[in-house]
Amino acid sequence: MSARHEGGCLCGAVRYAIIEPAKFSSMCHCRSCQRATGGPASAFVGVERGQYEQLAGAPAIYVSSPGVRRGFCAACGTSLTYEGDGWPGEIHIYTATLDDPAAFPPTVHTYTADRIAWFEPDDGLPRLPGFGSDAG
Amino acid sequence: MATSHAHEGGCLCGALRYRFEGPPPRANLCHCHSCRLATGAPVVAFVDLAPGQFAWTKGKATYFASSPGVRRGFCNTCGTALTYEAQDMPNEVHVLSATLDDPSLFPPTEEFFAQECIPWVHVRLQAQEGQP
Repeated sequence: MSARHEGGCLCGAVRYAIIEPAKFSSMCHCRSCQRATGGPASAFVGVERGQYEQLAGAPAIYVSSPGVRRGFCAACGTSLTYEGDGWPGEIHIYTATLDDPAAFPPTVHTYTADRIAWFEPDDGLPRLPGFGSDAG
Repeated sequence: MATSHAHEGGCLCGALRYRFEGPPPRANLCHCHSCRLATGAPVVAFVDLAPGQFAWTKGKATYFASSPGVRRGFCNTCGTALTYEAQDMPNEVHVLSATLDDPSLFPPTEEFFAQECIPWVHVRLQAQEGQP
């Protein structure tokens, strides 16, 4: 049986589960993600849509760019999900909303061209100025 | 640095906008579980504004009381987390600095709740040039 991980928003109205294996785990520095969360960088775990299960509630959706749908909790504001036409059939969940975010260490930094100068990761991971074929 | 320069920021969709001016604020990183869940980000950064410094200029924030005496402001159209206010720091507004139009302006100089840091988050605080 594949490992299952649960997560959700701050107020608990929206809960989900994802089933391993994940397609990737990454940290994104793009300006849109900074604005979407309010944090200096975001981390994502990507899975096939069929490996995502809605347990309670449902994220509200904001279309941040054409073909990009960002899910958040309408009651408390937590950013939860990202789906983009560039990644058909996938859903990317914000790693920090997992009950155990330590389970998915990122392996790459994406969109570091947008990185905030003072936000300097000290982890030795590869940095991509944009995105890779399998990065969130 | 000019002390009266105004700074502006807002949410992803633009429904909420704010500004502040006055002396350069204290800036910090927070690793606490509540801040991480409020945003969805693995670590967050704040600028702490004194009473009277901060004003909304567009839209109306939605507030969530994440703990007794604490309210967090966010945009109910796009989900962006913007502000933190606590009764034990009356009339202060702590702004999530990634929502500033120029988020690079206020490098954090302190870290809070390091004991709650996600193990894979490794961030080096930058030395502050020209600061005491």
